[in-house]
Amino acid sequence: MSALFRSHRVASVAIFAPALLIAGALMIYPFLNGVVMAFTDATPTQREWAWVGVENFDYVLSDRTFWEVLTNSLVIVGLSVAIAAFCGLLLALLLNEGLAGTRLYRSLIFQGWVVPWITIAVLWGWLFNFDHGIVNHILVTLGIVDRPLNWLAGSVLAKVLVISGFVWRIIPFMMVMILAALQGVPSDLHEAARIDGAGYVQRLRFVTLPLVRSVIIVAALLQSVRLFQELTLPLVTTQGGPINATTTLSLYTYKLAFERWDFGLAAAVGSIWSGLLILISAFYVWIVERGAKQ
Amino acid sequence: MTGTADSPRPGPRLARGALYLLVFASLVVMLFPIGWMISTSFKPGDEIFIPPPRWIPRTPTLDGYRVAFSHAVLVPLLNSLVVAAGSALLATGAGALCAYGVSRMRFRGRGALMAVMLATLGLPIPLLMLTLYVMFSRAGILDTYLGLILGHTAITLPVVVWMLKDFFDVLPQEVEEAAYIDGAGLLYTFWRIVLPMAAPGLAAAAIFVFVTSWNEFVFGLTFTSSSTMRPLPAAISLLFLGEFQYRWGDAMAVAVLVTLPVMALFVFFQRFFIQGITAGAVKS
Repeated sequence: MSALFRSHRVASVAIFAPALLIAGALMIYPFLNGVVMAFTDATPTQREWAWVGVENFDYVLSDRTFWEVLTNSLVIVGLSVAIAAFCGLLLALLLNEGLAGTRLYRSLIFQGWVVPWITIAVLWGWLFNFDHGIVNHILVTLGIVDRPLNWLAGSVLAKVLVISGFVWRIIPFMMVMILAALQGVPSDLHEAARIDGAGYVQRLRFVTLPLVRSVIIVAALLQSVRLFQELTLPLVTTQGGPINATTTLSLYTYKLAFERWDFGLAAAVGSIWSGLLILISAFYVWIVERGAKQ
Repeated sequence: MTGTADSPRPGPRLARGALYLLVFASLVVMLFPIGWMISTSFKPGDEIFIPPPRWIPRTPTLDGYRVAFSHAVLVPLLNSLVVAAGSALLATGAGALCAYGVSRMRFRGRGALMAVMLATLGLPIPLLMLTLYVMFSRAGILDTYLGLILGHTAITLPVVVWMLKDFFDVLPQEVEEAAYIDGAGLLYTFWRIVLPMAAPGLAAAAIFVFVTSWNEFVFGLTFTSSSTMRPLPAAISLLFLGEFQYRWGDAMAVAVLVTLPVMALFVFFQRFFIQGITAGAVKS
């Protein structure tokens, strides 16, 4: 097939042009230029930018807010992904029992995957409303708390609000990925284990989990990278507060850039964030390659 | 696996009943927020604040939906529609050409191209936006559909290329080869033979882009400044933080309005996406 294209030299180069142009001009160049910007005092109001060396990085790394924001991001994203992976695994195990109506159930849950973040943001604001929110109502009715919780005022409570929204949104993805992996586990392995007298928990621990572990890790990493980008929910509900408790790296970068208009600082934070992503990707590649070898 | 339908030793009936109960309970928990959103959207303003909360409104009203279909919401909705459709067209078009090339030709850097495409997905969007903001402002396309379409195309194109490359890989190639041997040009063959065969894949890719663009928030918020250009998510956030603050019924009706179109699209193409995202999982 490849040989057939030799007589279409111009066209066969031209078909790559639109995609390369878009990816190059709107993704690669802005990324590289953003890293360069981190070494300048760039703001959009001035045309000329001056080099400031590592001043932005100096400032960011010695700023307590940055470390707080970094910790927040790791805690919020890490917990969200871990909880969603756990719930996704439980749901997938449940669905893998071959009950009737499984496909309908999977479809219903999977709908959550396309719910716009803005819907989640507005809806979570209402569910967790201090005076009239249904969450407080349920907690008080069940006697879990004495009086309504002010979700937006406490740094832990605000994090719980954000994490619950993140978890709700990514459980469907986790469930579908893990379920696919479970369905790929050969049933004779289970038969063999059962004949050897292994109970459900033992089979889960020694047969199922080792076989789906790499899928869970890959799905979790993909979603972490995705959630690091997410800022709609904290921006709309908590505005990153109280006192930065729910400000994540993306919200912080966004605020530095488009509220303080300090592009240099924002670029420095964005560059550090990219460095983190490279570490995460290296880990990802390592996991995938290790999974492929097994 | 344990206790599947063809299992030689079906569990006791009680255990099975418990499993169904668990399934049902998890479904209730997962769908609860959506249900509450819909319920609230039909409640009149005063009823929302009367305890105890009820699922079925005492006096159902369409007031919320009157707000949702008012000028302040319909203009952004139209903007979102234009931007999402434009992005879907551009990203699917550019992505299909590139994916076809990668699928059919063997050249050096082919793997690297796909890897770079994948890697761009993780790039911090706020970092990219710094340069894009300056670029768009100099080009005079801030606060235009074009700026938003370009932004949304950029962040979805890599996925489209990956989706469609996989799709073209499994498409039968005989007809195409015959066309080339008969002397048909590449673009002619692509347009007349490949694209029609790839229609389901193209539709799925276009829907992916449409949904992503429709849901996208931060470009819409930053790259527009006038209320006549603002897409729906950005407009909702500003309404919600402003005049909608305590009008939960209205806010929920608007939330239903922004959610419904993408859910409806997704119902028809869900199976395709499930196959798509799980293909990699099963392979690794």
